[in-house]
Amino acid sequence: MKILPTKCPACHNPLIVKSLVCDECKTEVQGQYQLPPLASFSPEDQEFILNFLKVSGSLKDMAKLLQLSYPTVRNRLDEIIGRIKLTEQQNNTGKENQ
Amino acid sequence: MIAHEMNISTDSKISLGQYLLNPFRTLAGGTALLLGFIIILLTAFVGALGNTHFDGVIDVHSGQAAPLWFFFAESIIDWLSIVLFLTVSAFIFSPTRWRFIDLLGTQALARWPAIFTALVFLPDANRRVNDFIIAKLTQSSTQLTIHPMDGVIFAFASIVTVVVIIWMVVLMYKAYAVSCNVKGVKAIASFIVSILVAEALSKVLIILMFKRAL
Repeated sequence: MKILPTKCPACHNPLIVKSLVCDECKTEVQGQYQLPPLASFSPEDQEFILNFLKVSGSLKDMAKLLQLSYPTVRNRLDEIIGRIKLTEQQNNTGKENQ
Repeated sequence: MIAHEMNISTDSKISLGQYLLNPFRTLAGGTALLLGFIIILLTAFVGALGNTHFDGVIDVHSGQAAPLWFFFAESIIDWLSIVLFLTVSAFIFSPTRWRFIDLLGTQALARWPAIFTALVFLPDANRRVNDFIIAKLTQSSTQLTIHPMDGVIFAFASIVTVVVIIWMVVLMYKAYAVSCNVKGVKAIASFIVSILVAEALSKVLIILMFKRAL
């Protein structure tokens, strides 16, 4: 499956969704829809977040699953939390500017 | 939990280089503490066999005979001194929560290359060269000579020791950075200060212990 592009290749600003289509009847909806924050993360980060939810948010279980040490997993989670906060800040700034 | 239901990325694939320079990516906490503590005791024991003293956080000297407990105490003082100052640094500079057991365990495990120093200083040739150097420096005896092979063995042990100390410092830094999630200039600066102060503290404690006990 292709990786969802989230940044404009020309100016690196966040991309928005312009059209959505039903895979069954091919009905197309057009508009301007913002991507959810999670969609802007790398596939690796998304995979990490999904696995983290599946183990009920247990860092110990994540460490076992990924065969990494507890602090390595916790540091990775902290990085993702940092990115989530940054994305939220950027989105809020964007809304204020509009 | 069923592992195959999960999407597992390639995070766990670790090269030999990473195992040697940053094993803490996969090893920390209680396991690192147990392994590290066993290695510290083993290194001290081998050191005792060759009278090799780990008399400072990043210090090694070959020389005076001492009871076995003294070698164990030296190694434990070295380990706990660096842990003490890195704990203070982590409280100041870590932006996130961290576990003390990770710092304690990874710092113990970071000392594992010291076993190579203890091993290369086992041959008696090192003691003979040591005695020769001291005699020359103090000019206490002009009769002493050394066999060329003793010199070669001593030179080899010295080179290994330098490599081991550099390797150990790299491991101690990685252990600190991974365990406490400290990065960049703050991590490097706080580590350098911690290791220097810990070196001084461990030296003082070992000298005091030496004066009182021996």
